[in-house]
Amino acid sequence: MKTMVKIGGKLAIICAIAAAVLGLMNAVTEPRIELIQQQRLEAALEKVSEGMIVGEAQETEEGSAVTTYYPLYEGSKDETPEGYIVRIIGNGYGGEMAVLTGYTKEGEVFAVQMMENSETPGLGKEAEKAEYMQKYIGTGTENPVPVRKDMLSQEQADAVTGATITFIGVAKALEQGSDFVEKLEGK
Amino acid sequence: MIKEFTKGLIRENPVFILALGLCPTLGVSTRVVNALGMGAGVLFVLLGSNIFVSLLKDFIPEKVRIPSYIVIIASFVTIVEMVMKAYLPDLYSSLGVFVSLIVVNCIILGRAEGFANKNGLMASILDAIGMSLGFTFALLLISFVREVLGVGTITLFPMGSFDGVIEVPILVDSPARVFALAAGALLVMGYLIAGFRWAQEKAGGEK
Repeated sequence: MKTMVKIGGKLAIICAIAAAVLGLMNAVTEPRIELIQQQRLEAALEKVSEGMIVGEAQETEEGSAVTTYYPLYEGSKDETPEGYIVRIIGNGYGGEMAVLTGYTKEGEVFAVQMMENSETPGLGKEAEKAEYMQKYIGTGTENPVPVRKDMLSQEQADAVTGATITFIGVAKALEQGSDFVEKLEGK
Repeated sequence: MIKEFTKGLIRENPVFILALGLCPTLGVSTRVVNALGMGAGVLFVLLGSNIFVSLLKDFIPEKVRIPSYIVIIASFVTIVEMVMKAYLPDLYSSLGVFVSLIVVNCIILGRAEGFANKNGLMASILDAIGMSLGFTFALLLISFVREVLGVGTITLFPMGSFDGVIEVPILVDSPARVFALAAGALLVMGYLIAGFRWAQEKAGGEK
């Protein structure tokens, strides 16, 4: 009994010290990490908006794939929105991944940016590049979003080989975002 | 004492000879810059864990030594992760989950259990540096072959006007994509391990 307490106590001491050190480190790095994430979001919004004015962020109800959307305005914020930037959570190979997508008010994709994700470096991570998203641009309305490999050209299909789940995850997310924008009906 | 340092480089290279830590080796060896980042992460964690395990070897009870090592290692990994996220966000996003996976990298637990808990502080430090340099060296070799053949580029750190990517003529237009995939990694690793064994046997035979 006594040895058990001793062993347990020593392990507890090690854990307590480790926890204290980590708490301290977290306090130091957390504000910086938040700042970087904020900057990334702003940079991404800037890129995806393609020169349009980005309106206030609107939260959606919980449980939907779309977490936030930003109306886009051509001239001033008093006019009706010309399009939307939508943040959608999709399912990738490494769990949830967020995509920031610009839609016209009809629900056609005009810009996509991959945000936080845990995809495999060198494979699914390739989706962070702008070229990767090229295949989704202009889809969502008359042209369906390519959700299967056979909806891609041979070259595009070769490029997603090895990361099919990421490709389908992004496509499904974009499809949901497009439906969401259509339902907004310019509000 | 110096041989504790040099053994990790070639003779007991963790990847090529001890065959430890192969999962992250396969995972991050797609870009040369990832190999450098991962190597630096492992160096920090291994150095930290070896130092503490060696210092605490008389304090840590035999029965709970593995959980104790894991707590120590996990703490260092979390520190690396937080620091990378805050100060090197680009490197962090390209290494992704592999940073957290350093926790279960058997090189680190292997050195704690197999070396640091039996040896003094100085020897453990040298062992940690040698082993992580050996690991980095192996990663660099594999990632160099994979990136050149599989993507046709060599990605280093961006410096000034240089964006960090060297393009290899011809290969960049028609890369052998298989090398960027897991199958290619295994192929490259297999050949390199065979090469190492062959060189070792040859060197041994001449003695």
